[in-house]
Amino acid sequence: MSDRLSPPNPDHLEKVTGRTQFITDIEVPGMLHGKVLRSTVPHAMIKSIDVSAALAIPGVVAVLTGADIVGLNHHWGPSLKDRPLIAIDRVRYVGEPVAMVAAENERIAEEALDAIVVDYELLPFVTEAAEALEPGAPLVHGNHEAIKDFYFKGEAKPVAGTNIFQRYAYEQGDVEKAFAESDRCFESKYEFPMVFHYAMEPHCVIASFHGDSLTLWSCGQSPTAVQKVLSRVFDMPLARIRIISPHIGGGFGGKASVKIDPLVAALAWKLRRPVRVCLSISESMLTARRLSATVHVRTGVRNDGTILAKSVRVLMNGGAYADTGPAVAVKAANRAIGPYRIPNLSLESVAVYTNTVPGAAFRSIGGPQAVWATESQMDEIAEALGLNPAEFRNRNLLRRGEHVRADLRPIDVEMGEAMDIAAQEMSRIKALDGDNITYDGTALGISDPGIMPVASVVMRLKIDGSVAVISNSVEIGQGVRGVLRKLASEQLNQPIEAIEVLTPDTAIAPYDWGTGASRSSLMMGLAIEDAARDILSQVAEIAELVFSADPAAVRFCEGGIIFGNEKKTFSELLHTYYGIDSGEIVGVGRVTPYSNGGRLAQAPLFWETAAGQCAIAVDEETGEIKVRHYVSVADVGRVVNRAAAEGQDEGASMMAFGHTLSEELVYQDGQPINATMIDYHVPTIDKAPENFVTVLIESGTGPGPGGMRGMGEGAILPVAPAIANALAAGYGARIRELPLTPERVWRAIREKRGS
Amino acid sequence: MFLAPFKHHRPTELSAVFEALAKYGDEAAVYAGGTELLLALKARVLRYEHLIDLKRVRELAGIKVDGEELVIGALATHHEIANSAVVKQHVPAYAALSEGIANIRVRSAGTLAGNLSFSEPHSDPPSLLAAMGASVTLVSPQARRSVPAAEFIVGEFTTVRNEDELIAEIRIPLTRAGEGYRYLKFGHLERPAVGASAGCIIRGGHTRYRLWLGALGDHPIHAAEVEDAIAGVPVALLPDVLPKLAVSFASKISATSDLHGSADYKQHLASVLMQRALAAACAAASGERVSHA
Repeated sequence: MSDRLSPPNPDHLEKVTGRTQFITDIEVPGMLHGKVLRSTVPHAMIKSIDVSAALAIPGVVAVLTGADIVGLNHHWGPSLKDRPLIAIDRVRYVGEPVAMVAAENERIAEEALDAIVVDYELLPFVTEAAEALEPGAPLVHGNHEAIKDFYFKGEAKPVAGTNIFQRYAYEQGDVEKAFAESDRCFESKYEFPMVFHYAMEPHCVIASFHGDSLTLWSCGQSPTAVQKVLSRVFDMPLARIRIISPHIGGGFGGKASVKIDPLVAALAWKLRRPVRVCLSISESMLTARRLSATVHVRTGVRNDGTILAKSVRVLMNGGAYADTGPAVAVKAANRAIGPYRIPNLSLESVAVYTNTVPGAAFRSIGGPQAVWATESQMDEIAEALGLNPAEFRNRNLLRRGEHVRADLRPIDVEMGEAMDIAAQEMSRIKALDGDNITYDGTALGISDPGIMPVASVVMRLKIDGSVAVISNSVEIGQGVRGVLRKLASEQLNQPIEAIEVLTPDTAIAPYDWGTGASRSSLMMGLAIEDAARDILSQVAEIAELVFSADPAAVRFCEGGIIFGNEKKTFSELLHTYYGIDSGEIVGVGRVTPYSNGGRLAQAPLFWETAAGQCAIAVDEETGEIKVRHYVSVADVGRVVNRAAAEGQDEGASMMAFGHTLSEELVYQDGQPINATMIDYHVPTIDKAPENFVTVLIESGTGPGPGGMRGMGEGAILPVAPAIANALAAGYGARIRELPLTPERVWRAIREKRGS
Repeated sequence: MFLAPFKHHRPTELSAVFEALAKYGDEAAVYAGGTELLLALKARVLRYEHLIDLKRVRELAGIKVDGEELVIGALATHHEIANSAVVKQHVPAYAALSEGIANIRVRSAGTLAGNLSFSEPHSDPPSLLAAMGASVTLVSPQARRSVPAAEFIVGEFTTVRNEDELIAEIRIPLTRAGEGYRYLKFGHLERPAVGASAGCIIRGGHTRYRLWLGALGDHPIHAAEVEDAIAGVPVALLPDVLPKLAVSFASKISATSDLHGSADYKQHLASVLMQRALAAACAAASGERVSHA
C-alpha cells in the first residue's frame, strides 16, 4: 500500500498546475513561426509552385519549397532513404508537405498558405495494399537506398519495380507436411485498420542554426536518431547538433525515430533564424499512423486440440514513405505466433507503399494487428473442436523456458498463470457486481520487444550527496523520470530527494537508442546499475587514498560511504580528496551487447506479454458493444512505480478500445475523409469499463534491476480479440474486421440469426 | 487552425446588432457560443470580415415561463438549459436532451439558437422541438414572427431565417400531466447517426402520439403516417402494432451511406429508436419516473 500512497511522479503537480514546460511554451530570441502547406492530391507531379503572393504579405519572411533543398542531402529515412525533406517534384499522399511559410506569427503564416498556388499534374494513385501489389499498380516510388544498421539492426528488403518495401520470411519444421497430417485445418483472413496515435500534444519542434551549430527542441522519442538524420542531411558533425527534449505530451510511436524535425530544420536552415512549427492535431493525423494489415492465418490441429502447424501471411499498408514500417512488418509476423508450441511454423510478411499517410511504429509495433488475427482464430478453432477456449490454449501453451521460435530467447514468463489470474479476477468482479448478463472473452498476447541493448547514462554525484541523472530517455508522460529517480536512489543507496533527473539534451546526455519498445526503464535501469558501480569504484579508490580504507569494503550509505566501522560523508571524502570543499564524481553507465556477460544480446531481451479478459453486453438491436468489465494481467518482473505502471497498463488497454470499437482512418478517392477529431472517434472516459482491474505479476524474472522487465505496450495486445471472442461466444457472431462498429456487430448478429 | 483576421463587434442592444448587419451585409456573421461558426472559420470553410458577438445583448438572454410556454432566450446555452430548474420542471424531456448534447465544452458555450441557426443535420434538438410543438421566434428591424420548429429547418445548413432576421427565442409548450416526451439517439462518432423523438399525449381516455426523426435527412423527418396509424391506440396495445409500422416507415426514409453507417443500418436504427423513444414517452406520460440518464 505504501507504493500507492507515495507521491507519484514528481512532475504531476507541475503538470496539473500548468507549469510544465512543453515545446510550445518555449520562446527563442528572434524566433519565427512556420506553417506547412500540404498536398491536397494523393499522387501528382508538381508542375509549379507560385509563392510570390505569399511573400508579398507583410510579416511573411520566407517560403521553403523543394527548389531550396537541392544542395542538401535531401532524402532521408530510418530504413530506406525514400523521403525528401519537403516535396521536390512529386507528392505521394494527401497531407504531404509541399511548402512552408515562415512569418512573424502563426496567424500570418497560416494566412500566407492560402496565397500559395501549386499546379499539379495528377498521377494514378493507390490507397489499398492489395491493389498496390497488383501488376500494373501505380508505383509510389522508384528504387531507394536501403540503409543497413542505421536505426534498426539489419536492413529492409524492398523489391525493385514493385511497391514492396519490405519482405520477411521465417520457416521452421515442415509446414506443408504437418498440414497434411493435421485432422483439421483452419484458415481465415483478419483485417486491422489504419489508426492514429493521438498523442494529446501534436508534433512541435523549434529549430535554430547559430554559427556552425544547430539546436533543436524536439518532440521526438529518439533524440539521437534525430541528431543522426540531421547530421546526414546538413552534412554537420554530430557534436554540433544539439537535441533538447523537454516534457512531451505523448508519443506512442507517432514521434518515434524521426518525424517533422528535418522539415523544420530545413526551414530554419533557409532562414538562418530560429523557427517554431507546431502542428494542429489534424496535421499530426496526416503525419503518421499505424500500419493497417490483412493477416491470413492457417492453423493445422489434431482433433484433441494439439496444434501441429501454423502459417501466417501478413500484408501491411505502409503508406507513402517506409518510415519504421520495415521493422513493423517483421514484428507483425513474429507477434502472430502467440505463446504456443508450434513445431511447424511459417511466417511471411510484406509491406507496401500506397498513396496514404506514412505508416509508422505504434505501441507494440505490429503486435495488435498480429494478435488480433491469431487470438481470434484460437477461439474459432476451440469452438470448432468443441473445446473450451482456455482449455485449448492451455493444451498448447508454452511453459517458461520453452521456445516460441527456435532462434529466439525462450519464453520467460508463465502465460498460464496470467490467464488463470485473469479468469479468477473476472469471476470475483462478476460476483461482486451481481452480473449474470455479460459474456466473456479472453486473449493472450506476447511480443518480442525490438530492444537493442545499447544505452548509457551519466550520474554526477555532487559533494553534498545530491545526484544528477543525465540521459536521453524522454519523458513522454510514461513517468520515466520518476522511475530513473527511484532506480538511481536504490543503486546509490541515497534518499529519493537527493536525486534529480535532468531534461534530455544530447549535448550533455550520452548516447541512447531512444524511448520506445518498452525499453527505457529497463535499459536505463541497467545503465544506472553500471553507473552506480562506476561511482562506487571511484569513491572506493579515493577512500583508500585519503582514509586508507579497504576499497573492497566500501559501500554506499545515506549521504556518504561506510567501510568497516567507519562512516564518511561525501563531503568529508571529497573535501579531503580535492583540498577544497567542492567537487563531484562523474559516473558513466553503459549497456552494450557485451554487458552482463553477453546475456543481453540474445533477442528478444525479454518477452512482453499480457492476458486480457473482458465481459461484454451487446445491444442486439443497435449492435453496440459495452465492455462492462476488463482484466489485464502481465508479468512485468518487478513494479518500480505502481501508480505509473498501472497507468501504463490501463492506458494501453483503453487505447486498444479505440481500434477495437471505433477508430479507423477512412480513405475515399485518395482522400482521408475523417482525419479530424470530430469524424475520427477516440474513446472517451465514458467508454471505460465499469470495472477495470490490472494485475501486475512480480516474478522477479526480468533482466533488469530487481528482476524487472519493460512494460507499457503489452496490454494493448489482447483487447480486440478478447472482445471479438466474447461477441462470438455470446452471440454467435464472428467478426474478422476491425473496428467492431455497431453496424458490423448488428449485421453479424443478424446474419447469424438468418433474418 | 487560426481564424482569418476579422473585426469584432460587441453590441449591447438588438438595434445595434441590426445596424451592424445592415451596414456589413454578407461580410458579417452573428455568433453567441461560436461552437459551430468558429470551427468553420478555423477550417476556413467560411470567412467573414465582421463578427458580431451577441452575448451582451440582454434582450436575448434568459429562460422563463410565459403562460403555457417555456421561453428559451437565444443566448441560453445547452448547459444552462440542462440545469435550469424551470426547464427540468416544465419540459423535462428537453432538459434531458440538452444534458446529452456533444460534450461539456460544447454544452457550456453552445446555444440552442446557434444550433438551430447553423442547422447541421447531425444535431440533437430539432426533432424533439418539432415533436413538442415548439416554435422559433424570429425578429428583424421591421417585424417579429413565429415559425413552428417543425418548419424552421429546410435543408442542410439552411433555415427559413432571412438574412436580416435573428432568432430571439425558442418557445416550447409546457409538458402537462398526461403527456410525455423522449429523445433517443445513437451513433458511434461525435455526432448522432440517428435521433428519434416521441411524444405521448393522453387526454380523456384518448391517446395521441408524436414521432419525429433527426440526423437522418437534412431536416427533421415527421413520421406522420405512423402517428396517424397509431392515433387512439391505447399505450398497452402499442407493442402489437408499432413494430411493423416503424419498420415499414423507416424502410421508406431516404438515407445515405456515410461514416455514420450504411443507409439500411440507419433505417433500422430509426425503427428501433422510434419504438424505444415512444415506449419511454408513454412511460413518462403515465407518470412513471423515468431515468433520463
